[in-house]
Amino acid sequence: MSAQNEEYIVEMRHITKRFPGIVANDNVTIQVRKGEIYALLGENGAGKSTLMSMLYGLYEPDHGEIRIRGEKVVFKSPSEAAARNIGMVHQHFKLVENYTVGENIVLGIEPMKKALGIFPYVDMKEANEKIRALSKDYGLEVNPTDLISDINVSIRQRVEIMKMLYREAEILIFDEPTAILTPQEIEYLLKIMEELRKGGKTIILITHKIEEIRRIADRCAILRRGKLIDVLDVKTTSTQEMANLMVGRNVELTTKKSAPDYGDVVLDVNDLSVWNEDKVEVVKHVSFQIRAGEIFAIAGVSGNGQVELADAITGLVKADNGTVKLNGVDITHKSIRERSEEGISYIPEDRQKFGVFLDFSLSDNLVLRRYFKTPYSRKGVFDRAECVSYADRLIEEYDIRSGQGAKTIVRSMSGGNQQKAIVGREIEEHSPLVIFVQPTRGLDMGAIENIHREIVAERDRGAAILLISLELDEVMGLADTIGVIYSGRLLKVADAATLTSQEVGRYMMGVTEA
Amino acid sequence: MKKKRFRENIFKTALARFLTNEKWTKLTVPVFSIVLTLIVSSVFLLILGKNPLAAFQAFLAGNGFAAKVSYGAGAGMISDFFQFLNVMAPLLLASLAFIFGYRCGLFNIGIAGQMLLSGFVATITIGYMKELSPWIAKPLVILVGIVVGGLLGAFIGFLKYKFNIHEVVSTIMVNYIISYSTGFFINSKFIDPISRASKVITPASRLTLTKVNIGGFYCNVPFGIVLALIVAFIVHYIFERTVFGFELRAVGSNRNAARYAGINVGRQIVFSMMFSGILAGMAGVTYYLGYTNQILPKTLAGMGYDSIATALLGNSSPLGAILASMLITVFQNGSSYLSSVLGVAKEIASVITGILLLFSACGGFFRYVAQGYLRKVADERAYREGRAQEEAEKAAKAAEEAAAAGSEESKEKGGADE
Repeated sequence: MSAQNEEYIVEMRHITKRFPGIVANDNVTIQVRKGEIYALLGENGAGKSTLMSMLYGLYEPDHGEIRIRGEKVVFKSPSEAAARNIGMVHQHFKLVENYTVGENIVLGIEPMKKALGIFPYVDMKEANEKIRALSKDYGLEVNPTDLISDINVSIRQRVEIMKMLYREAEILIFDEPTAILTPQEIEYLLKIMEELRKGGKTIILITHKIEEIRRIADRCAILRRGKLIDVLDVKTTSTQEMANLMVGRNVELTTKKSAPDYGDVVLDVNDLSVWNEDKVEVVKHVSFQIRAGEIFAIAGVSGNGQVELADAITGLVKADNGTVKLNGVDITHKSIRERSEEGISYIPEDRQKFGVFLDFSLSDNLVLRRYFKTPYSRKGVFDRAECVSYADRLIEEYDIRSGQGAKTIVRSMSGGNQQKAIVGREIEEHSPLVIFVQPTRGLDMGAIENIHREIVAERDRGAAILLISLELDEVMGLADTIGVIYSGRLLKVADAATLTSQEVGRYMMGVTEA
Repeated sequence: MKKKRFRENIFKTALARFLTNEKWTKLTVPVFSIVLTLIVSSVFLLILGKNPLAAFQAFLAGNGFAAKVSYGAGAGMISDFFQFLNVMAPLLLASLAFIFGYRCGLFNIGIAGQMLLSGFVATITIGYMKELSPWIAKPLVILVGIVVGGLLGAFIGFLKYKFNIHEVVSTIMVNYIISYSTGFFINSKFIDPISRASKVITPASRLTLTKVNIGGFYCNVPFGIVLALIVAFIVHYIFERTVFGFELRAVGSNRNAARYAGINVGRQIVFSMMFSGILAGMAGVTYYLGYTNQILPKTLAGMGYDSIATALLGNSSPLGAILASMLITVFQNGSSYLSSVLGVAKEIASVITGILLLFSACGGFFRYVAQGYLRKVADERAYREGRAQEEAEKAAKAAEEAAAAGSEESKEKGGADE
């Protein structure tokens, strides 16, 4: 028996973990071979992170046992797990901003030396050398003397990986590592993971993105509502099959939509430029039009001016040049309220920073577009009953789940339901122009499907849709017309049917001539 | 599982429930803070060799809530009670002033200055105007307080809106400017050489009626308390029921989302500071032309700062501020009687107030700890129930097997019999 088990470096057997009200893991057994990339696939709340937290020593299982290299272990803290060469890259990085990359990596296990045999000091020179060597071995480009505050998310993630390698971790757990990365950075990360596998490391990848699993994983365990559904060999399983198993029903990977039926021009953006607070021109002379019944999608790598473009249309930032016309009315110099009343609905990128008041009730958030109008308020005084009944209708219609209905404090709701509330509130205005910025970021498959359907329904109603997304698949799947933005310029505008995703990807990198 | 499992304590659970009860947490947490304060200050008094019960009795007696041992000629419990209201009125108004800014995300630390300036302007205009009927003088005093405080507050708000000057910085600066410039004018023009304060105002303009005979006792009756209570309810109504109040709270809660929702954030900031200033102005006139009738030059009223703590003790809610200002006033106003009866320094009252504020500032922390404890209890219960369920399942299975085996056996037996 033991000989058979040695092929598995990690075994978690019959793991059960309960939290109040839910069974987070119910008799889950996974076995990971040395040197493979093992994916854990499941929707938000399926129990993937809980399972890995137990392997990493954050929780103890109520039941079941964990074996590392065939040996039974009980981890009481992450440091005990680290002693067994287990490392984890968390979704939210744990780095000291004003320390250098090298200092962050050695933090806690600093190489100490004594000057003149008495005065202890940290030998950063040696540490940096070691880091450079490691970074060469695995193709992980980091400069140990850079400050964390000066580097971007993608490099910060590399620092987190380097931290594990420096501690000689053999089993690496990645918790949703691609959620915050652009397509190019994802590509780079997957390459690193391949390098790590070549170097003999074992990788456990937590994700809800099937594409990544297809690209890189060897085997894939699917969790749903705390239960292990199946363990699949990635090569012999189709994407559709994985999606169905993950959600538990037949999923439409591509949103069905009819042929477009264009009406008059609704939004006319002409020669629009925006300078940001640092006096940098982030949107440069952008012109485009969106007709009624058209989904105009803007594709682009994050930070190329797409959010500023949406903000300039809705009035959150000032346009420094050019005009914005809605149904022929020049709205360039109107206030935010005037524009939204003119007929703009806006689903913002950062839903918690812009879209909702986390400390207000759900009903206060749902009437946000109407509270100043009769019958929700009269002569400046609220009619609470009207507000609540309106909120109740939206909760029903858009299936917004919350603990206590209209009076639930929004902070206590899940991200998916917060987004449903925003989408419902904005769609209910039946505006001629609806702007979606990253509408499915961080949502799971069921919620994504739902929102995609809403987008198409809005278009079929005859609204002009501006969809801004970093997900190329989303753009390709929904758009009637695609505009590619690069460095603040609209490089290419074309009918979606005439473009392949490779071409769009090239334009996203700033290549104009194919 | 060698790790010692968490043990639940019924008293701790009950206390945690009490503190986190959704409906009552706004009340239970301050009550808990007050109880802690009484315990800790009792320890202080015991160390000083005094009887804490006698001390708390003295606090109550000093404010007319309990009988003193003896009274001076013409004074009684009711006189003390009116004196208590005299102090409470400006404190309540001042804490409402703080709340008005705070709910909109502004920290008005300049209430003392706004009080002083409006008190000063009202004093030198209406307060020194002879031959004015009290029916005209008193409303005018309040009006001057409103106008001066409102203008000053709007100015601070405008600085923030237009030049992005943080209100804490500008109000602290303005406090100094007001303190010294009014001090200069009082010293050079309006000084009373004997008291070294400004000359007293006319009785007609004073918002407190002095030496009113009520049931044979002389009392100082403040109009300010009526004003303050009405204003508290108006502020409550504005925040809870009006669109204007909703937008103020929206700006205070999340400025980005407020902008996104089309609320004119700059305008709300100016309005919020203006109303905060108006309330501070009202507090100023009830303080300087009511509780007292003259102004000490170059001195900011400590009440301007106490009001911040009072507001926080009241959960920054207008109705909570009524209770909080009562409590703080009991300690502050009762201190002289306490020191005369028990022979402890007057400052012990400030120590107790300080302890109270310290604990009330910890309100969020108490709630957090209680929630953490309840979560642990729930985790443990989930674990136990899961265990019990499994045991039951196991037992059922075993019983089933036993039964099956039994029946098999009996079958076999039966077969053998045949």
